Amino acid sequence: MFNWIESNTFHYSAFRDLKKLVAIKKKKNLTISLCLPTLNEEKTIAKEIMIMKSELMMRYPLLDEIIVVDSGSVDNTLDIASTYGADVYESDNILPHLGQQKGKGENLWKALYITKGDILVYIDADIKNIHHRFVYALLAPLLLYDHIKYAKAFYDRPIAIGKNKSRPTGGGRVTELVIRPLFSLFAPELSQIIQPLSGEYAGYREIFEKIPFPIGYGIETSMILDICEKWSIDVIAQVDLERRIHRNQDTKALGRMAFAILKTFLNRVEKIGQIELKKKLFDDMIQYNLVRNKYQPNITNMEGFERPPMIEIPEYREKFNIT
Amino acid sequence: MEEILERLPGFVESIKSIKDTILTNVVLLGEIPSPTFKEKKRAALLMERMADFQVDECTTDGYRNPIGIIRGTGKNKPPIFIVAHLDTFFDKDIDYNYIIKKKVITGPGILDNSLSVGVLATLPEIFRTLDLRFESDIVLAGVIQSIGHGNLRGTRHLVENWATPIRGAVCIEGGELGRLNYFSDSMIRAEIHCKTTDTHGDHYPSMSNAILILNKVINKILNLRLPQTPQTKIVLGKIAGGVNYGHIAHIGTLGFEIRSDSDDMVKNVYSDIQDIIDGISHEYEIKLSMIPISNLNATRLEFNHPLVKSSAAVIRKLGITPISKPSESELSIFISHNIPAVTLGLTHGENYYLENAKMEIEPIFKGIAQLIGVIMAIDKGLCDV
Repeated sequence: MFNWIESNTFHYSAFRDLKKLVAIKKKKNLTISLCLPTLNEEKTIAKEIMIMKSELMMRYPLLDEIIVVDSGSVDNTLDIASTYGADVYESDNILPHLGQQKGKGENLWKALYITKGDILVYIDADIKNIHHRFVYALLAPLLLYDHIKYAKAFYDRPIAIGKNKSRPTGGGRVTELVIRPLFSLFAPELSQIIQPLSGEYAGYREIFEKIPFPIGYGIETSMILDICEKWSIDVIAQVDLERRIHRNQDTKALGRMAFAILKTFLNRVEKIGQIELKKKLFDDMIQYNLVRNKYQPNITNMEGFERPPMIEIPEYREKFNIT
Repeated sequence: MEEILERLPGFVESIKSIKDTILTNVVLLGEIPSPTFKEKKRAALLMERMADFQVDECTTDGYRNPIGIIRGTGKNKPPIFIVAHLDTFFDKDIDYNYIIKKKVITGPGILDNSLSVGVLATLPEIFRTLDLRFESDIVLAGVIQSIGHGNLRGTRHLVENWATPIRGAVCIEGGELGRLNYFSDSMIRAEIHCKTTDTHGDHYPSMSNAILILNKVINKILNLRLPQTPQTKIVLGKIAGGVNYGHIAHIGTLGFEIRSDSDDMVKNVYSDIQDIIDGISHEYEIKLSMIPISNLNATRLEFNHPLVKSSAAVIRKLGITPISKPSESELSIFISHNIPAVTLGLTHGENYYLENAKMEIEPIFKGIAQLIGVIMAIDKGLCDV
């Protein structure tokens, strides 16, 4: 039915030759930036920075910089990140005249302005079993295959439960219950992407700077839709990183995530003419809690604010000499 | 020796310059579950890391202990062994997650023995950073099946089957920095298992309860007269029994250790306890058995052995006070084969055997400098007798 999954799916173990990757990077005269978006990640941030710095900067110089863009942590995330050698930025202080939004997408978008790399790697800062394959395996398809411009991770994802026990699971409930049905209904080709919501991806700046960034949960979905629309699925690769242990989220948090993703998705498919919405979508996710035998609504406002393609920002064009 | 001692303070800063690499190895290796008898995955990664750090040879011995060899410049110098045990006290299904803060790392097994294994893997890089070459081959050995029921099997096999003479050995442990072990007590660890049924209570109602029987055994052990010389003690370390609160316990286990600086005394006390077991078992017609778990003979270097003196001088030069106690570890296997050996600790920490074990980062660099100093002393022939 589709053959993209055959040709563009890789396993990290195929890319263990780091010397070769460094040589190709050098030959192509590329610079690479790693960005870690954070919000209260003091338990995991040091490990991520330390391993990437040791393995992919000191021993095999694939990365030229590691930056942390933070959404307002109240724990010691920034102090620890700085101690372990990352360049640390508070999201609110980057392009402050454009306003301050809270969300992972906002951090990723602002990282485009702060970083200098030709290639950017984004990885979540809450990965407990971090390993440098999370970065080099995403970079490898970009370095080895000229037609690949964006690489995305997928995993078997055991979720940490209880205090210290872990159990195997397929994970990705929102993927299976929300995204995959949507892809199957509107863009079946994209259902070949095994974990469209994974928070780890790498791509060329020339891709990221030309697409809008929703500030919240919709960022991963919109990124795939926009890249496929502008360049086709053939510029995307997916890499099996085998195992990722992360914090579990409760069902209500996943509900809010699903809300943001659905909204982003529906707006995108309307924009390309696949559906016609007769009325603007609402902005509030309404969930109920039972408090002292009474059901009380818990309303979360999610407007779905999007940042425009970074290339449209004058300061960015000036910084990167884009005429 | 003075020449080596003078270089040590400078080593500390140089080693610190590759802090990220050292700690990366500690974390990558330490987060792989490695209970005794199930060290295969950690051993495989240690091999991979040693190969990646360009040891000259990377292999396993006949017992599957992973070994990396850094070839020396001398043709006829016997090798120096650096040894860290790979196994941990924890089951494989707990969360082996290390949390790194500014000054500490927390997680199961971090001090016993992930830190040492990580340092072992990084030694080739540390030698390059310090621009050190040795005359002797340096053999980096991550030994399996050391603790508990493992009874140092990996080390025993390694030492007994190594084809050439061994010049000396340094065993490394996470903590405590300053430890200088060069002797081990004679020791037997054993478990007493008690099994009863309801019928055992026909004549003596309390005798159907395994916990009460073990209580009787404990009382008799406590009545044994132990000499002050040779120094001897019995540690009652573990007890378990029963199923729930409301039912009489029909099974029970008592774990204990006999320790002395005399092999004969340990054997005699063990025999006394066997008599206690046999007596109670016979008189009350119950199943009571004793199973030895591990054992060691007393071994030692003298305090004036050049390896001990050199090691103490290295530790003192780094501003640390050496502390010497008996150690029931890999050390004893080397010394019992007439190979001079010491055990060193690499840092400070707490909660060694809990899942939230915590180690300090900053002292590690002195701990490694100390290890390098001792290796250099052995390599220069300063510890040869």
